[in-house]
Amino acid sequence: MSPYRLNLMICAGTGCVSNKSFQVKEALDKEIKKHNLEKEVLTVMTGCNGFCAAGPIMIVQPDGIFYQLLKEEDIPHLVEEHLLKGRPVKKLMYTPPAEPEPIPKMADISFFKKQILIALRNKGIIDPEKIDDYIAREGYVPLSKVLTEMKPEDVISEIKKSGLRGRGGGGFPTGLKWEFARRSEGDKKFVICNADEGDPGAFMDRSIVEADPNSILEGMTIGAYAMGADKGYVYVRSEYPLAVERMKKAIQQSREYGLLGKDILGSGFDFDIEVIQGAGLFVCGEETALIASIEGKIGEPKPRPPYPVEKGLWGKPTNINNVETWANVPAIINWGADWFSKIGTKTSKGTKVFSVAGKIKDAGLIEVPMGTTLGEIIFDIAGGIHSDRKFKAVLIGGPSGGALPVDCLNLPVDYESLTGAGAMMGSGGMVVTDENNCMVEMARFFLNFTRDESCGKCTPCREGIPRMLEILTRIKQGNANMEDLTLLEDLANSTKDTALCGLGNTAPNPVLTTLRYFRDEYEAHIKYKRCPSAECRELVSSPCHYACPIDTDAASYVALIAHGKFKDALDVNRLANPIPSVCGRVCHHPCEVKCRAGEIGEPIAIRDLKRFVADWGREKGYTPSLPSGPKKDGKVAIVGSGPAGLMAGWKLAQMGYGVTIFEAESVVGGMLSWGIPDYRLPKDILKSEIDDIRAAGVEIKINTSVGKDITLDEIFNQGYKAIFVATGAPHNLKLRIPGEDVEGVIDPIEFLKNYNLNKEAKIGKKVAVVGGGNTAIDAARTAWRLGSDVTIFYRRTRPEMPANVEDIEAAFEEGIKIEFLTLPVEVLSENGKIKGVKCTRMALSGFDSSGRRRPIPVEGTEYEVEIDTLIPAIGQQPNLSFMKGNSKLKTTSWNTLEVDPETMATNVPGIFAGGDVVHGPATVLQAMEAGNIAADSINRYIRGEPFEKEYKPLESVMKVPPVELTEEEITKEMDRSEMPSLSIKERNGNFKEVELGITKEQAMKEARRCLRCDLESKGVKQ
Amino acid sequence: MKDEKLVEIIQAHRGEQGALLNLLLEVQDKYNYLPKEVLKQISEEMDIPFSRLFSIATFFKSFSLTPRGKHSVHVCMGTACQVWGGQRLVDKVGEELKIKPGETTEDLNFTLETINCPGTCGLAPVVVLDKEVHGKVSQKKLMKLIKETEK
Amino acid sequence: MAKLTLKDLQKKREEVKKAITLREGGPYKAKVTVHMGTCGIAAGARKVIDAVLKEVEKSDRQDILVTTTGCAGLCSREPMATVELVGKPPVKYIDLTAEKMAKIFKDHVLGGKTVTDYALAYGSEKTS
Repeated sequence: MSPYRLNLMICAGTGCVSNKSFQVKEALDKEIKKHNLEKEVLTVMTGCNGFCAAGPIMIVQPDGIFYQLLKEEDIPHLVEEHLLKGRPVKKLMYTPPAEPEPIPKMADISFFKKQILIALRNKGIIDPEKIDDYIAREGYVPLSKVLTEMKPEDVISEIKKSGLRGRGGGGFPTGLKWEFARRSEGDKKFVICNADEGDPGAFMDRSIVEADPNSILEGMTIGAYAMGADKGYVYVRSEYPLAVERMKKAIQQSREYGLLGKDILGSGFDFDIEVIQGAGLFVCGEETALIASIEGKIGEPKPRPPYPVEKGLWGKPTNINNVETWANVPAIINWGADWFSKIGTKTSKGTKVFSVAGKIKDAGLIEVPMGTTLGEIIFDIAGGIHSDRKFKAVLIGGPSGGALPVDCLNLPVDYESLTGAGAMMGSGGMVVTDENNCMVEMARFFLNFTRDESCGKCTPCREGIPRMLEILTRIKQGNANMEDLTLLEDLANSTKDTALCGLGNTAPNPVLTTLRYFRDEYEAHIKYKRCPSAECRELVSSPCHYACPIDTDAASYVALIAHGKFKDALDVNRLANPIPSVCGRVCHHPCEVKCRAGEIGEPIAIRDLKRFVADWGREKGYTPSLPSGPKKDGKVAIVGSGPAGLMAGWKLAQMGYGVTIFEAESVVGGMLSWGIPDYRLPKDILKSEIDDIRAAGVEIKINTSVGKDITLDEIFNQGYKAIFVATGAPHNLKLRIPGEDVEGVIDPIEFLKNYNLNKEAKIGKKVAVVGGGNTAIDAARTAWRLGSDVTIFYRRTRPEMPANVEDIEAAFEEGIKIEFLTLPVEVLSENGKIKGVKCTRMALSGFDSSGRRRPIPVEGTEYEVEIDTLIPAIGQQPNLSFMKGNSKLKTTSWNTLEVDPETMATNVPGIFAGGDVVHGPATVLQAMEAGNIAADSINRYIRGEPFEKEYKPLESVMKVPPVELTEEEITKEMDRSEMPSLSIKERNGNFKEVELGITKEQAMKEARRCLRCDLESKGVKQ
Repeated sequence: MKDEKLVEIIQAHRGEQGALLNLLLEVQDKYNYLPKEVLKQISEEMDIPFSRLFSIATFFKSFSLTPRGKHSVHVCMGTACQVWGGQRLVDKVGEELKIKPGETTEDLNFTLETINCPGTCGLAPVVVLDKEVHGKVSQKKLMKLIKETEK
Repeated sequence: MAKLTLKDLQKKREEVKKAITLREGGPYKAKVTVHMGTCGIAAGARKVIDAVLKEVEKSDRQDILVTTTGCAGLCSREPMATVELVGKPPVKYIDLTAEKMAKIFKDHVLGGKTVTDYALAYGSEKTS
């Protein structure tokens, strides 16, 4: 409790201060004293409220009365009326709208929330072409102060005290540099503003010049006064015509007002500024090269020392600072070094402007206190990754900087921390990349840039960069070996150490940081001839083909659908996949994540197209003939008939092996049959494709539980040469919270299985499901169909939910509530029966190694919910009972089997394993991938061939000519085809399939949207 | 042949320290490139060795010594645009116009060039068509721009 | 314009502030600011300001100040404009077109009602 009757909260944000909130406070204090109210009324300066345009503002607490646009002369009246007589002064009050604005407050918008504006203080507020606007925002008050009250030494010491460091990249203390320039002997001195924003991915200098050119001019004038210069240059890239124009206009207006030129403001100080346009060279951002180009010479750097502060432009002492540094100067003079140095970290004071672009939701220009973390910038301010893809790296400092990965998201941004991580602050350009951007390509891109920009004067840079580039190109093409990596690293380090100027010293940074953080990507290119991001076109047939873990050539079948050749399209599917109708319904479609039509626009509906041709084939009674080799000697046993087992069996049967699948249940398909409900995957469709697999020569023995009915050893004894274990992960994990062993807490696997197999279910009226995966969503949607009121508790937020996006959306549509950031902590019961659950709210904290934010409980937010059924669906584990009688198999601490991921071989010769039993609960497609790999390894094993394979770049299965597109189709963005589906009413109370499949017309139209990446790449068989 | 306009530009910059780049940029704006005769004339008028002018005109990227097309297609190859697939835009437009970056179509209608960032990274990928910046350029939008310009 | 002395500058500041700040009894009742940095222009800000000017002319009002400013920071949501009425916090609009701007002018500038569909937020950004 405040001992004061009233607290007057006066805003001390830059906006309000520039509107004289300090003077208002002084006037208030004076009046308060006059009326002897000091013991009753306290005046406090507060942080910014975000109502800058109405400043100065003051909030009177506890009344909550909000005064705006206060002026010194208003104060006596206000104090007398409100503080003394208790009558708030209406005409000074901000009247909130009758209804609250239905839109959020600027200061609450996440993009703006964490920002603090100093260098950008006038951004978006003043008209940059009117000097009057700048003057109205306290412009030239600092200069007036400097010219009348401060000696040059005072200015320098104030800047030194503030801790301001060069914002152009190096981070050299600005005050110190000024001091050197001041002390340098010279009859003439120059100051230069470096606005030659060379980093091709940064735009803060452009924005500042365009938005507030006078702040730079004022900063330069103050600097010139401090250093004793009488001439200044602003060096702007000619690629920024608007910036050039606005800067010229600002100079013109300043001259007219006498703020530049002779005898500025009558002080006797002379100073003038001219604009020089750069002509498109990165190296000219280097200060000696910049000076050379102003002198009318070619922009080549010179060795330093001598430094420009000693011997610069035309041999005279010259101080160069960048745009942002200059723009900070007036603010520091105005509000003081102490104010400035309170913001930021120990070594890096104040704020930093960043231009944030790339694969993020909200790109733009931001200003944050030094020490803000990369994760806050990328996820809180810039809104996270575009299309909710995975974050890969943030490129900081442009061609001189580095690529920082997920592990660096908690890194507080300042000069030292970035350098420590291998990058550099640079001028503040940040470009964010996602899972579709290749880091080898990124390194090649930057080196290609620096090679073109290298002036060629020194050998390490001239020769080193092209050699590194050659190696990178070889890696991208899949023609490099592992020794090349060592050579690349050596070259990078020696160029870094021996080049003449900053360009050459820093050019290897992108190579070194990508090698440091993304070595696995380099190795994937070299060893496996794979580009994990599907970007390197020499290795990638087409991104969608490439993204498919079982190598389905989506590009080819989509192209065939565009031609109306559905039979051929189905054949392409069948080459890779025995269950296209199933996958066309339940696949998590990584192909669509990589689809390039989805980069700007919507990805092709590849899964829907797959389903279309599969359904077309089934309805037409078309069963494709499959290539089958001559019968081979040797029988293979498979344990489990889920997607992994079915895939391996189908593949091995095609190779000519006799295959028997042992299935413990009475139905075939594993999770496909009893885990996935009918509304997503009707049983007859699954059955029809399993029949196809049987027809291919796979025998399936149901009701045969390995470990109980037969042991692994007995299988070998029956003459099977190899066994593939694909038993899945059907054991549900408990929540491990107090009270969960009561009636009404049910296992989602048992629940789904019971309903899907026997149409039996014991479920209450008020159901809560815990978890965010497919099992959780399936359990919730099943319960909803059985008439329950369903809520899902998930401890993170929507983008982190691992379930298929389509299914999450469908759950929402069906009216299932999802409580995000919520975690059950205790099950409440009565007489051994659940009656409710106690939950706590969670908050997201720092980033974990997966790039997701760690949820942590918020203290004091616990609350109780009444429910009669709780379904914990937070994860599953394998059931290892099949091992009975053979315990030699190695397992992990997760209770999964250990295998060699390249071959799926276990530690026991002849036994292979894959799918959920190896990697825990994952997707249908991942299980099929494991089955695919295992089939190949089993073949090698039986034939006595080595497991090591020769990896080759993936090639398109066929070359489909492009379709003739209409003019409209060439030039207009077309919408993605929409999946027809049952209305909510039609879904309630039954398990009819929800998605109805797209029509033939839709399918052909959709397929014609395809950009045909397969034709542009080099992976096509000619 | 003495070009009056050229003399004017030269006069405007005469005596101005550090203005050579400004002068050349302005001259190029007028001629669309830097013709040899013009460089010679500048060399004489400004008393700058021709060799120095030539080295500047070839060192800095903004200058061209060959005539450029009526329309300029500048595809940005800055980092943000690269991340958004700028290279594929270059390929697409190159395929459409049947020229490579740096080249001009036979009918002198289009010159295709790659540039290093006009600073509008927030709108990546970016194409500058006749000095006008276009943002969020998909392949289709690019085709539309080219076809509209052709008309 | 004559060169300013320190005193002139001070006077100038007061004058300009008075002139451009919206307050009861001031010359302007409403202010429309279009963000015109390179990004904004590239995204179509010129069409937006043309629309504003056309609407002002149609409305025949003398007390509406139309002005331009630089980048508002949120490049990917350009074109942007800010509408401010006397005594009310400014409202920022995003992803504008000429048509949207015309509607905003009619409903908000003339009618006093925020067009919530196009609005991002109200109030100003924080300074330190």
